[in-house]
Amino acid sequence: MLGEFEYVLITAAAGLGESAYGAAIREEIEKVAGRNCSIGALYTTIERLEKKGLLKTWMGEATAQRGGRAKRMVRVTPKGVHAAKEFYEAMMRVSRNASWATSKPGRAS
Amino acid sequence: MSSLAEMATILLAPTDRDVVLGDLEETGVIGWSALGSVLGLVMRQQMELWRAWQPWVASSMAFAGSLLLLGVSFGLSVNSRHLLRGERGYGSVLCEALLMLSWAWTSGFVVGSLSGKTRWVSGILCAIPCLSCVLRFHDTSLSRLCVLLFLLPAVIGAVQGVRRARLSHRTALTLAIAMTALMLVWGGRYMWNWFLFLPAWWLVAHAERSEPSNKKVAG
Repeated sequence: MLGEFEYVLITAAAGLGESAYGAAIREEIEKVAGRNCSIGALYTTIERLEKKGLLKTWMGEATAQRGGRAKRMVRVTPKGVHAAKEFYEAMMRVSRNASWATSKPGRAS
Repeated sequence: MSSLAEMATILLAPTDRDVVLGDLEETGVIGWSALGSVLGLVMRQQMELWRAWQPWVASSMAFAGSLLLLGVSFGLSVNSRHLLRGERGYGSVLCEALLMLSWAWTSGFVVGSLSGKTRWVSGILCAIPCLSCVLRFHDTSLSRLCVLLFLLPAVIGAVQGVRRARLSHRTALTLAIAMTALMLVWGGRYMWNWFLFLPAWWLVAHAERSEPSNKKVAG
């Protein structure tokens, strides 16, 4: 099963679609998940997911905004979509009785 | 762009270098923050490599192999001196020299092929016993560098291992059998030296069973 950050990354990349690349994914994670995402965490996770066959990456175009340097484009593979779906469903199942999922008041321990 | 961060990207693969510098430029990260980002990626990439078993085996082999080969190099130097004095036959010293060369080369090849990206760690683990031995060497009749005879073939093997990763099955098997036969002829006086055959038989077990695909393409 995916790790939490792996799921967040795949979801961000899937949401960006054709325009998913390193800096854009990082920005999306920071904006939507509200967490800091370092370049180190981003690229090592991308590499790991690519080795597992869950992502595919390739070198994209170079832009002036990037000082004429290329982007690393990212696409979620069908296997990646399946793994993300599995993680999402597992989280839904495990959360079904939790107070924050059912809007019931939680039990204090 | 911070020149320090740009310098630090030398530690990254060429494709990663371009991508990371582009990302930093695009997001406007500069100075120490940019340097921290690059070094953070380098650290994480190195740590990621150690999640696999190969770097552990390679670095253990580099350390243990260099300890044994230091002894073999010293033994060969002493026996070469005896040969020059006429106290030993050519055959025995030649066997020992060939064995040392093949042990060193196969050990280096396996270390290089298993952990190309962590070779600097394997190198340090090989250098520690070598330095320690050279600094403590007391035999005045021999140069202290005589214990490092194995280094050159080991380094050549490591470089070839990084480039090629595997030998053909026929080459690996021939090499392993020849080495074992040589050891039997020589006498195999020191039991620990039998551990130096592990890399040769490892190469046999992990050899290419079929012709490399690039030959098929070329044909």
